[in-house]
Amino acid sequence: MSATVSVIEVRDVWKKYRRPHQEVNSLKEGLVAFLRGQSGYEEFWALKGVSFSVEPGEAIGVVGPNGSGKSTLLGLMARVLKQTSGAIKVEGRVCPLLELGTGFHVELTGRENVYLNASLLGLGNRETSRRYPDIVDFAELGDVMGAPVKTYSTGMVIRLGFSIAVHLDPDVLLIDEVLSVGDEHFQRKSFQRLLDFKRAGKTIFVVSHNLDAVKQFCERSIWLDRGWVIKDTDSEEVVAKYRAAVETWERSLEEARARDARPS
Amino acid sequence: MSEFSEVLRYREVLWNLVRRNLKVRYKNSVLGFAWSLLNPLLQIGVWWFLFKVILPGRGEANFMAILVTGFLPWLFFSQTVLDSTACVTQEMALIKKAYFPRTILPLSVLLSNLIHLGFAFIVMIGLFIFWRVDVNIHYLLVIPSTLLLVIFAYGLSTMLAAWSAFYADVKFIVSNLLGLWFFLVPILYPLYTALGADRPAGNWLETLIHHSLSTIKHLYLLDPVTIVIVGYRSALLHGGQPIVVTITDNMTKLEQQDALIKQAVLRAEYPMLPYVIGAVIISLAAAIIGHWIYQRKAGQFAEQG
Repeated sequence: MSATVSVIEVRDVWKKYRRPHQEVNSLKEGLVAFLRGQSGYEEFWALKGVSFSVEPGEAIGVVGPNGSGKSTLLGLMARVLKQTSGAIKVEGRVCPLLELGTGFHVELTGRENVYLNASLLGLGNRETSRRYPDIVDFAELGDVMGAPVKTYSTGMVIRLGFSIAVHLDPDVLLIDEVLSVGDEHFQRKSFQRLLDFKRAGKTIFVVSHNLDAVKQFCERSIWLDRGWVIKDTDSEEVVAKYRAAVETWERSLEEARARDARPS
Repeated sequence: MSEFSEVLRYREVLWNLVRRNLKVRYKNSVLGFAWSLLNPLLQIGVWWFLFKVILPGRGEANFMAILVTGFLPWLFFSQTVLDSTACVTQEMALIKKAYFPRTILPLSVLLSNLIHLGFAFIVMIGLFIFWRVDVNIHYLLVIPSTLLLVIFAYGLSTMLAAWSAFYADVKFIVSNLLGLWFFLVPILYPLYTALGADRPAGNWLETLIHHSLSTIKHLYLLDPVTIVIVGYRSALLHGGQPIVVTITDNMTKLEQQDALIKQAVLRAEYPMLPYVIGAVIISLAAAIIGHWIYQRKAGQFAEQG
């Protein structure tokens, strides 16, 4: 094929954040800072000229140290954040970000949260009702769906979030660090589910520090560091190079420590 | 893609949020949804206690009805504006998780309070039947007034929702300003009391008020909330007629004279139509500016807290 259809097209995307120097949470603090002529903010680039394109059915791992821009990248693709410059095109329905600890309204019951989340994906309440039994079944939460989510354990919340995500038939799934949560049984089940998903021609992004899981699941990986794309090729190579880089860095740290510890 | 068609596309989210708002407000309460009927009823009870037991002797025969007709739109307006200062911070989990047109957040606040207004209206009709106030077809005339209030409330809500996402102060400032605003609209007193008022010159503040009294009265009448309350009273108590004062034969000479003065104040010096037009323009301007501010800030919501 001369030109493959890409479902995701990220072109030269830059993202700037403004991080407050000190906490400015009130008008007064803001005013004081303004009068002193301080902007009160330091600017930093979370993503620097990131470009890639994705074909349907690809599973892509995103690896890199903390603060390298992985979650920002997912946030941009989910249209939760806005890029400072550059263009992002995502075709099809994007599932709400699957990440730890957020996304549910804790006062509402599991059932109510399912409907709210489904509507975010453009699913009508009737359609959700049709899929509801499967969602509950997969999450294995049959008897607690009527209870408020604040009474759920962490594992239960993750299971519900995951189950909603895979049952709503999105075209793009964005997973941030929830690949290896839940017990062994649920991990296996969800892994199987994600493989089905991939086979159905859907696109999956996985941000994870679990490099073995990334290698096992994604053929291709993107390695980010301080906002730059360091490498974007098959996972075996990326993971190997990334591990080597981390080892080199740790060795240099140790050497530096050893130097400092020497009496002068 | 315009924001409007986006909201339409995500109307299911809006609807789910409205239902959520209605449910969560009375979560963990034994009486649950019955509170949406009880709350306005109890508030009216407090005023009944104040004006019938503590401070009796109000002239108007249907004083309580006048009070309730002013209170209903105010309750909707103040609650919407107050709720809007929390609607972004409260939904942070949702905002950080998925895309949806952010306008849905203040809209859901507006809609759920509109539903509460509907319940309060039912309570009011019940009370009116009990008080033997005539209930008639002219009641439908509250619809244009309500629409005007919705537009004005939308403007303020979007503006305040956007700012409250970045500054927690907004919420406290608003709740205090609403306490003042309550007295700046004719709820506890009829309109002509405010318009007929005279202020002698005295100390510097009194002199200032004395000299700018006519300007103050113009501004007072341009407040969309005042116009809406006048509209509600007209529709509910005066069969849609703009004249709020009636003169009957069984009035004493003195009462008739008093009523004539009121009528003159309302008819000649303050013809309502220009103020209605002014309030409509102010409301539309607020809605457009509020919407614009909100759209500009919405992109940064997910980066907050």
